[in-house]
Amino acid sequence: MASQNPTMRQIAMVLDLNKCLGCQTCTIACKKLWNTDTGTGYAYWNNVETLPGKGYPKNWVESGGRTAEGEVKAGRVPNLDDEYGRAWNFNHEAVRKRSGEGKGKPWLRPDGAPRWGANWDEDRGAGDYPQENHYFYLPRLCNHCTHPACLDACPRRAIEKRDEDGIVLVDQDRCHGYRFCVEACPYKKVYFDPQRQISTKCIFCLPRIEEGVAPACARQCPGRLRFVGYLDDEAGPIWKLVNGYKVALPLHPEFELGPNVFYVPPMSPSKLDEKGRPTGEPRIPTEYLVGLFGERVHEVLATLEREREKRRQGEPSELMDLLIAYDWNQNFALGPRKREVL
Amino acid sequence: MRSKISLIAAPVGLSPGGYVPKAYADRTAPKTPVAEFDAGKVGDVWRIRLRWACAEPHRELGDDVDRFIDAAAVLAPTVADAPMMTMGAPGKALEGALWRADRTALIGVRAEGLGTVERGDAPEGWSAEAEWKAGRWSLDFELPGWGVLDVHRQFAFAIWQGAEGDRGGLKSVSPGWIEIET
Repeated sequence: MASQNPTMRQIAMVLDLNKCLGCQTCTIACKKLWNTDTGTGYAYWNNVETLPGKGYPKNWVESGGRTAEGEVKAGRVPNLDDEYGRAWNFNHEAVRKRSGEGKGKPWLRPDGAPRWGANWDEDRGAGDYPQENHYFYLPRLCNHCTHPACLDACPRRAIEKRDEDGIVLVDQDRCHGYRFCVEACPYKKVYFDPQRQISTKCIFCLPRIEEGVAPACARQCPGRLRFVGYLDDEAGPIWKLVNGYKVALPLHPEFELGPNVFYVPPMSPSKLDEKGRPTGEPRIPTEYLVGLFGERVHEVLATLEREREKRRQGEPSELMDLLIAYDWNQNFALGPRKREVL
Repeated sequence: MRSKISLIAAPVGLSPGGYVPKAYADRTAPKTPVAEFDAGKVGDVWRIRLRWACAEPHRELGDDVDRFIDAAAVLAPTVADAPMMTMGAPGKALEGALWRADRTALIGVRAEGLGTVERGDAPEGWSAEAEWKAGRWSLDFELPGWGVLDVHRQFAFAIWQGAEGDRGGLKSVSPGWIEIET
């Protein structure tokens, strides 16, 4: 485990996977804001992947950096063609020209032969239809870990974790493009820009945070599934969801890096038997969720069921009200410089 | 002074941070086991020639993200007892030039310990000519007015094989300072 000491404060995000639509608005909001340079065409600081699935980069869970016991394990820099997927343009001009000439049906196609992409296996999921087919969406960004593997990996000391908010940043003036950080991060959330030959990663929309505004991915989310605030703010949504109600869990806690992005795991409808009757078993296997979020999934799902039932019975549930986001202002608590969401 | 020298793998155990020493603990053999060098001074100009085997030259990254570049560096101590294997030490700097196969201009480097390398423009007039032919790189540095080499008459060099994933502290180095005969 890295030896980084906890920072004075830690900003964090909670994402309620029961509400993610897979619309990629967060992905586009982030991409347009931060990653439009030529060397970052393939890079998505925020992406949304369909699970069960191989994700982005392809099979990132198997790409190393940390073992299931949290020990350092040699990782890999994913390949652009096979694992990230090379960004492509469409043949808009050819299609436009052909349509004008009336020469048959024009097809919009990529200008290359892509083999993978950020949402390549979107909506595939798993399970036999109609008894148990299932999928859900997992938005991913840098976890701004308490013990960042990327920071631990950089021999240049070009990665820092800010004391005031725990945001992990690459000092691109110091970075020499060695890519040990890319290898070491088991979440594969550091990207190499081959044009500038430096590493890049999510900055948690630092300039917005410093103005009390939530990151673009959270602010633009139509599903209102993202919560942003400080872990130690007991009046804020993060503390309530992570430490109060204890329904938000880190992704792959077994890596022992202390991720500060948390997820409310997805509930799912019942499987059907051969006659189409509900069996009472969740379509998303609970053990699959345990593989993502750890053993605490069981208690979280039980809490969510219990609170939902309370609400159904007409009883109050602060947890359900918070997760439903009746008042969107409650999703973001960024301290004294907090701005109202209009 | 023309010579052939066995190189060693720079010790990854010394690399700063917790990842590289563990992830590359098995990297004990140099990816460039042997190199030839020639060093001498003509007028004010230090000329250092390096030659080494390289089966697969990596001259450019293109837009690949998992590709590394062939490179070589020559370094000299700025004070008599500057340690070579740790890239100098605080107050005991090394300085020199870095050649990368994807650039024409040399990069000036200076370090006072591992992880402290600062890159900048090489001194005026410093240049290098490189050619890859028949499985070998041949690299000729021309380094006019390199004062610390005049004074200490010691240098060391490092070679990075891009195809082998060499970068940073993953490199083959001369086993110590090379004394330049007067």
